Amino acid sequence: MTSAISVRHLTKDFRVGLRGLKLRAVDDVSLEIPRGQVYGLLGPNGCGKSTTLKIVLGLVSATAGEVSILGCPSATPEARRRTGFLPEAPYFHKFLTGRELVRYCARLSGVPSADVAAAVEDALGLAAMTEAADRPIGTYSKGMLQRIGFAQAVVHDPELVILDEPTAGVDPVGSAAIGRMIHAMRGKGKTIVLCSHLLGQVEQVCDRVAIMDRGRLVLEGRVEDVLSRRDRHVLTVESMTPAAREAAEAALAAHGAVVTSVTHPRRSLEDLFRELVTGSRDA
Amino acid sequence: MQASFLRISWIARVTFLEAVRQRFFAFLLILGAAMALSSVSFRVLDFGHGELKFIADFGFGGMFLFGSVLAVVMTAQLFFSEMDNRTALTLLAKPLGRGEFLLGKFAGAWAVLAVFVGVLSALLGVVLWGREQELLLLAEQSGKVPPTFSASGLAQFALLQWLRLGVVASIVLAISSLARTFLYAVVVGALAVVAGQLQWIAQDAILKPTESPAYEALLWCTSRVLPNLQQFNIGDALVLGATGVPADAVGAVVLAGAAYMAAYVFLGALLFGRREI
Repeated sequence: MTSAISVRHLTKDFRVGLRGLKLRAVDDVSLEIPRGQVYGLLGPNGCGKSTTLKIVLGLVSATAGEVSILGCPSATPEARRRTGFLPEAPYFHKFLTGRELVRYCARLSGVPSADVAAAVEDALGLAAMTEAADRPIGTYSKGMLQRIGFAQAVVHDPELVILDEPTAGVDPVGSAAIGRMIHAMRGKGKTIVLCSHLLGQVEQVCDRVAIMDRGRLVLEGRVEDVLSRRDRHVLTVESMTPAAREAAEAALAAHGAVVTSVTHPRRSLEDLFRELVTGSRDA
Repeated sequence: MQASFLRISWIARVTFLEAVRQRFFAFLLILGAAMALSSVSFRVLDFGHGELKFIADFGFGGMFLFGSVLAVVMTAQLFFSEMDNRTALTLLAKPLGRGEFLLGKFAGAWAVLAVFVGVLSALLGVVLWGREQELLLLAEQSGKVPPTFSASGLAQFALLQWLRLGVVASIVLAISSLARTFLYAVVVGALAVVAGQLQWIAQDAILKPTESPAYEALLWCTSRVLPNLQQFNIGDALVLGATGVPADAVGAVVLAGAAYMAAYVFLGALLFGRREI
């Protein structure tokens, strides 16, 4: 089976200034994004990840290299027919309602007229935007904008969904809602490419990650593989007394193991926040 | 083919909705309408011409002036709002060709210009008809031949003006496809309109012998690349002329306008296809 996205030796140079100085934004990047997975593309600002995504979507031309989506050259409409895209900080025509926007995008994406109404309702439902769908987009909060952006990206039931910073500026509750949408899409067998600065969220939802820096790919692999430290172990113990701790350390020492730290487990601030404000939505 | 037409029509529909919601459009429409309606009040300044001619010229002037401003500024604004707000990023990531996008933008802008020309022409028609009726009564009393105007001629003139504004919009869209800023597109677009109004000078000059091949080449290019926007100004003959204008002459103007419009939209699509979003 072909990869969802195949990037081979991709290079992109921009000409800047009157003298046309060359600025290399993407430098010989090769990636294979398998189908049916959630793939995280990480990196600091200006590392080339957005440029890479734009090349993948045919919005920017590559200086060198090849990119294909689901086996089709990425610049072709056929490749984009099977792809959904949510840009960073999306902006939509404010005078349209959410439902009108999603219908508009469905028509542009080639959804047959007979199927448009159902596709629009499905997408709005998936993005939890059904109730607010008839309000003008100009009245939406940032979280709602991201959710309606998600709905327009998936309305044509694409095989591949590319999300550029889907949770930027969204509160943790909205962020968790987007995380649930990503899980729902993965449950349907879709491939999701996620570009994000929120490393905690990427860690939670992604199967694989790639990290870019200064236009180059510096790491790629399964999240478990790249994060786990095989030479360290964590034991979580309840009701441990000082005596029990001493005995455990002695027992471990007898086998040549060294206890390097003993701490109390912590929950994340995001988990605590979500626990305390459950039920509140970013309306 | 049908799918492509549908995508273009959806882009055009949203472009039209965006444009008619703008205050700029309403402002120019009100100004143009006010000019057409107020022409009756200024008819005493007819400089010796017939009253109906003065009213018609006043209306034509409003349509030309405000229509040109609308065609240049609104078309550039509709294009750059998609670029600057990055809505184009969302749309062009869909199976939508760049040419389809640009054609949709043009069709939407041209539809707005149809509304503009339609409303102003209808108002001008009402004003001309009202004054014509008054002059008919006066002529009956004095035994003179009353002046008349042709409603069908006015309709033909409106169509020609719509075509002229379409040519202007297509030029501005081609410039916008290449331009990096809204201001650049508006300034160059406005200069193109002025050059189009003066293009007949190049056409006249090329008929005269010249010793400079470079000058001759420049004249030839100017007279071919730029449309002659003056050829659409046959309102007097169409609306007030006793014999009207031969159909083949009107047809030639329509064909020339349509050809320029198609060429500029095609050029815009080519340039936009190479643009990095």
